[in-house]
Amino acid sequence: MSSWLDYTINGLIVGNVYALVAVGLALIFGVSRLINFAQGSIYLVGAYIGWVAVVQLHTPLPLTIILVAVVAALVGLIIERFGLRPLQNSVRIAPLLATIGISFVLDQLVMLTFSPNPRALPSQLPDVRFQVGGGTIGPLDLLIAGVGLTSALLLFAFLRYSKLGWAVRAASQDRDAAMQMGVDVNRVNQAVFGIAAALGGVSGLLVGMYYNQIDTAMSLQATLKGVVAEVVGGAGNVPGAVVGSLLLGLVESYGVAVFGTSYRNLFAFLLLVVVLVLRPNGLFASARQAPPEPLTGTFIAPSRPLRIPRWALLVTAAVFAILPFFPVSFYVLQTLINAWLLGMLALSLTLVAGTVGQVSLGHAALLAIGAYTSALLSLTLSVPVGLAIIAGGLMSAALGTLLISPSFRLRGHYVSIATLAIGEIVSLVILNWESVTRGPIGISGIPPLSLFGYDLISPASIYWFSFVVMVVLALLQGRLLGSHLGRSFRAIRDDDIAARAYGLSLNRYKSLAFIFGGFAAGVSGGIAAHLYSYINHETFNTQQSILALTVVILGGLGNVVGAIVGAVALVGLPEVFRIAAEYRILIYGIVLLLLVRFRPQGLLGTI
Amino acid sequence: MTSASGPLLALTGVNTFYGQAQVHFDLSITVARGHIVCLLGGNASGKSTTMKIILGLVKPRSGEVSFDGASLIGLTTPQIVRRGIASVPEARRLFADMSVRENILMGAFVRNDRDAVAQDLDKMLTLFPKLGQRLSQRAGSLSGGEQQMAAMARALMSRPRMIVMDEPTMGLSPLYVDRVLELIRTINREGVSVFMVEQNASLALDIAHEAYVLQTGRIVLSGPARELRDDPRIRDAYLGGAEAAT
Ligand SMILES: Nc1ncnc2c1ncn2[C@@H]1O[C@H](COP(=O)(O)OP(=O)(O)OP(=O)(O)O)[C@@H](O)[C@H]1O
Ligand SMILES: [Mg+2]
Repeated sequence: MSSWLDYTINGLIVGNVYALVAVGLALIFGVSRLINFAQGSIYLVGAYIGWVAVVQLHTPLPLTIILVAVVAALVGLIIERFGLRPLQNSVRIAPLLATIGISFVLDQLVMLTFSPNPRALPSQLPDVRFQVGGGTIGPLDLLIAGVGLTSALLLFAFLRYSKLGWAVRAASQDRDAAMQMGVDVNRVNQAVFGIAAALGGVSGLLVGMYYNQIDTAMSLQATLKGVVAEVVGGAGNVPGAVVGSLLLGLVESYGVAVFGTSYRNLFAFLLLVVVLVLRPNGLFASARQAPPEPLTGTFIAPSRPLRIPRWALLVTAAVFAILPFFPVSFYVLQTLINAWLLGMLALSLTLVAGTVGQVSLGHAALLAIGAYTSALLSLTLSVPVGLAIIAGGLMSAALGTLLISPSFRLRGHYVSIATLAIGEIVSLVILNWESVTRGPIGISGIPPLSLFGYDLISPASIYWFSFVVMVVLALLQGRLLGSHLGRSFRAIRDDDIAARAYGLSLNRYKSLAFIFGGFAAGVSGGIAAHLYSYINHETFNTQQSILALTVVILGGLGNVVGAIVGAVALVGLPEVFRIAAEYRILIYGIVLLLLVRFRPQGLLGTI
Repeated sequence: MTSASGPLLALTGVNTFYGQAQVHFDLSITVARGHIVCLLGGNASGKSTTMKIILGLVKPRSGEVSFDGASLIGLTTPQIVRRGIASVPEARRLFADMSVRENILMGAFVRNDRDAVAQDLDKMLTLFPKLGQRLSQRAGSLSGGEQQMAAMARALMSRPRMIVMDEPTMGLSPLYVDRVLELIRTINREGVSVFMVEQNASLALDIAHEAYVLQTGRIVLSGPARELRDDPRIRDAYLGGAEAAT
């Protein structure tokens, strides 16, 4: 139907849009060594401001663009001033987590204001297409190319000829030296966030017009694509980000041409993982060079963990164990079952992110692997559910570790990006591998939980089952952390160079952590599958990964009891306060932000 | 406006910590107007940290730092630079991907008199003739000696009243060492006070007016450079450094 030239044009146009996001990310990374996960949210805000302007205010196109750029820039300035500047002297990971929290808050605010339903965003341009060689090109394509080019020129002129632009370049090469020349780094940060946000907002507007549709799911996609393009081009490298974006646009477009639309994102994330593994500095840096800062694995706020006496733990566990004997409502049990399932995921993440220092943003993928394995085994091979769940855990442990292992040599923020990408890849494979996973239809009719042939139907029995599994996993993890192995894990986290010097084989220890963590998460996913009886590729999404991370930070990174307390608190409190479902994600985002700012060591303290 | 009496720079009773570890113990140093003052000391004695204290990059836990009679405590680094203190950091720290010209001009970041800045750039090229042919080159591609020249030119571009330098001769060939020391003298003769950190005592004492010897965060010896040059204790204080050098 379309010619190769069409795919090329499409790839370059989409690449242009990515470039607007990626350049902003590169500027911010250059100056602050921060991957701004809120960039996609600004893009989302841009798209919706554009919708308001076009559909409600009927502004002409140039005014729409300016309006979007200005409002987005303001949002960027606010994020910098109130979200990130207070964290200047915090641990390395704090600003990254803050941008994640900010993106949750912004996305939810947009969703609450405009509803999650998609909206049309007409481009106001005539719908004609010109023949170019064997392909066609429309006015909107030209507009996007024009905006991309103009922005690039403006940015170039700013960096090359303005005083503030010089300050930006100097600060991104050597922050301290720039300060010694009198550069006010706060102003530089402000400038960079303002510019990045303006570009990101305009990008959102253009994408909305290009597909004539906007919805709140755009946000995460944009962040991911921008990060892919930026890392491919070399983190912090502005021209690299442009090239990386165009390359990403082309790879996606050709991938779609050959395999179909649902493969678009798969190609993007595969490109990312390949670049991260083979050339973590991007395509334009020498392969041998180590990734630039931030690369330290250390990020935990030093704290003295709260010591909980053993009897108190035993009493609490006993109370929860006998809870179903009391006249508690079905609703309370249901809530606690959810808490126990989340607790298992949190146990897994607190080990990987807290104890070993690999901040995973794709942990929900482990749930998905466990859930699909268990569901398919019990459904198609009639494996008993109990065994199927264990198999799900083992599959998560094996596959999860295998998938992450090429990224073991990455550190700091790069681990987070890699895990995020791998999480997306898992979900996209589930979507596309229809012969096994049933693709977008999902799997329904999953048999209920059962144990030794007895179906667990009553809420109390499900409650006990999940509670006992979680407690067993927690006890095992406690044993593990108290052992020699636990000390090695923490040594790797605190100083992986020193740990290596002591002869610790980092890969082996990281593998062990992911195997144990993968098992716990896989079991949680397996139980969930039989509980829900229906799952699809979106059941276990990035939102859950971030929720788990919030739980883990709330409890105190690395803290086993903390992971469970955090899960009960985050699942339970919204129920106690009867907070409507649509506000919950917003609350989680705010909780994450407040924690990072005021109590990075969590409730019970990091270990 | 300025208090013409009293020292230009004074550190009084400074105690500095990195986390739990104390780096400075009751440190007191003064730099008289128009003088070259040298801070000597072995590795990890806290020399660079002293520079960072002056520049506001590290905050002391207690003690006073004043410049021209006014306290610098609580000021940000850019504010301190605007008071008239320029710096040549340890290992030069040029902006590697910017051109040599841009690097030198970055030194004038706090100034707004464009024409005078252009004149000063020409002046730098007469002072550092080598840099003339390198202006459009990436700073990262310069040799160590050339980088030192560029860093000194960059520092002078702010028309500072004082320059602080961290080991300006480190890693340079003997030829360049002599040239750098000569240039420091020249700069000083034009009225710029100099506070420099050095490990190489004999070189530094040749050009300094006063010197302080720092040992694990404490001043163990101080006085006019002329007297210290012949002081046997210099050798003792320096045994670590001297041995490492030979
Ligand atoms: N940012 C920092 N965090 C923690 N400790 C530091 C930091 N910077 C320096 N130190 C420690 O403080 C002490 C003094 O360091 P400083 O750099 O001031 O020494 P120096 O005299 O300049 O040494 P050198 O001759 O090696 O340049 C050293 O023990 C060093 O390890
Ligand atoms: Mg030093």
